[in-house]
Amino acid sequence: MYHNSSQKKFWIFDKEAKLDQFRQEANQKFHSKALGLRKPGINESMFLEPREEKVLFRHYEKRLLDFCSVFKPVMPKSVVGTACMYFRRFYLNNSLMDYHPRTIMLTCAYLSCKVDEFNVSSTQFVGNLQESPAGQERALEQILEYELLLIQQLNFHLVVHNPYRPLEGFLIDLKTRYPLLENPEMMRKSADDFLNRASMTDVGLLFSPSQIALTAVLNSAARAGLNMETYLTECMGLKEDKETLSKMYDVMRRITTLIKEYELPKVEEVNMCKQKLERIHAEFTTNTNLKRKHGYEDDDHVVKKPLVTEEEWSDEDLDAL
Amino acid sequence: MDDQGCPRCKTTKYRNPSLKLMVNVCGHTLCENCVEMLFVRGSGNCVQCNTPLRKSNFRLQLFEDPAIDKEVEIRKRVLKIYNKRDSDFPSLGEYNDYLEQVEEIVFNLTNNVDIESTKQIMEQYQRENKDLIQRNKAKLTREQEELEEILLLEQQDSEQRRLENLQEEQRQLQAKRKNKQALLDELESSLLPASILLAQHKERAAQLENQIEKQKQTVKPATIFSTGILMGQTVSLAPVVRLEEELYVYQPLRIQTLGPAVPELEHLARLGYLNHVRTATPQDVAGGYTAGLACHRAIQDAFSGLFPSFT
Repeated sequence: MYHNSSQKKFWIFDKEAKLDQFRQEANQKFHSKALGLRKPGINESMFLEPREEKVLFRHYEKRLLDFCSVFKPVMPKSVVGTACMYFRRFYLNNSLMDYHPRTIMLTCAYLSCKVDEFNVSSTQFVGNLQESPAGQERALEQILEYELLLIQQLNFHLVVHNPYRPLEGFLIDLKTRYPLLENPEMMRKSADDFLNRASMTDVGLLFSPSQIALTAVLNSAARAGLNMETYLTECMGLKEDKETLSKMYDVMRRITTLIKEYELPKVEEVNMCKQKLERIHAEFTTNTNLKRKHGYEDDDHVVKKPLVTEEEWSDEDLDAL
Repeated sequence: MDDQGCPRCKTTKYRNPSLKLMVNVCGHTLCENCVEMLFVRGSGNCVQCNTPLRKSNFRLQLFEDPAIDKEVEIRKRVLKIYNKRDSDFPSLGEYNDYLEQVEEIVFNLTNNVDIESTKQIMEQYQRENKDLIQRNKAKLTREQEELEEILLLEQQDSEQRRLENLQEEQRQLQAKRKNKQALLDELESSLLPASILLAQHKERAAQLENQIEKQKQTVKPATIFSTGILMGQTVSLAPVVRLEEELYVYQPLRIQTLGPAVPELEHLARLGYLNHVRTATPQDVAGGYTAGLACHRAIQDAFSGLFPSFT
């Protein structure tokens, strides 16, 4: 249960500023590491700024959600939520320049399928990529290579509590104890929508899943022009406890604001950052992680072809999804 | 049909109370007369299973079920080869595995399962463990000898005791006889009246009896019981000292869920929660699932960590 989970202990932070600080540190760490290599032609202007990283992060996160939504067989919501949370947690302490988000996002989805007991074989998984069989093979290889790194960076805290089940709980509770509401089912659609949008923001790192779910319920009720204050006061037993009540409202307000503030990054901005990112990865990944791989390929019978498939398996293919 | 009988001549114990049933290695019965008739030449085939048999291998059937006789025979044979002791194994587990293997072989041979391969296993074992089998056999005979020696000693002991007892009795008889003789002598020669002499004699006889009794008692004091336990040993029968400890008191588990109270699983139906969840199909129920479980979990998840903490 959530109240004694690793999520509550290690992955819930009290302020948005703190999250920004972590990301800034990760960004800075990459800067100093890259500069420390003393390679010719490297200067500060090459790197992504935290703001640009955020743009790219959002872009790839949306990509992840899109990938999951067209996944065959249909992915349960909790798997998607877990994958999204992994992605978010991973880039809290890592920079996008360290590891390419394209691989990490697939690894997140793959890992969450395993953890959430959504049984897909690895070939079936990469079969969802619009790729040639060789490209799928490559993607799978990369996923498996990064899987352990991802688990390690998640600090082995693999269980993620999503707000979807709490939402069900609230709907049941409303039907049972809150007869004032005539048809709670009608709120499901907009509440679900609210939760989907919430998964693209930092609320999962700031608030408990039950709080997010309750906000979703109250939000969709408000949209339908219903006031559910009595549910909080009567059914949740907050009538006497004005302090908790006001804090609850405060939390809900913060969640709603965060979700409202969210906007998809502009295409041209994304493209610009992407170019930068590709350049950085071309510059650095060759002499870090993938060096071994590239060397191996050079020895292999085909030198040209892998380069082509590398090109092939790029963001444009994912766009085709 | 309980009555045992010879399968060949159909004689039964009822019709011929002196019927003797015999059994051979294959486990099939024949009566003594049939054996005499069929195996005049010393060897032949079993009437029932056609196994070649020898007359000398026929044994008197001891058990009602001839299969048991067969098993006993086979077991004897197998144990001649598989004669390892528990001291031959590093651990009890391995010894037990070995015993299990032996049982497996005996079972296989008795019930005609994979006879050929089992026999091969036995032969292989015999080849591999030749030395050990010989050694254990020798050990066995040595132990037998020791046992016999002990028995012999015991016998000698008891014989000696019997002799001693006999001598003692004779001595007592002699003493009594001497006493009687003395009385007669005194009656003959003494001047005292006969009644006094008789009284004296009685007294002496009683003294003698007493002496014998005492001797018997003094001879007795044995130092050990028949079970071999020393007599002087005192077994402490005092009750075990009572341990005074603080008793465990059950403390109900308190969980801080940081949210409103969740109704108990048992009360969900009464409170009407279960009307709003999918009812469990019979297939679900077979596996131990109830609608309440899913409902309870959803509500627990909804309420857990709902209130902002006050820190």
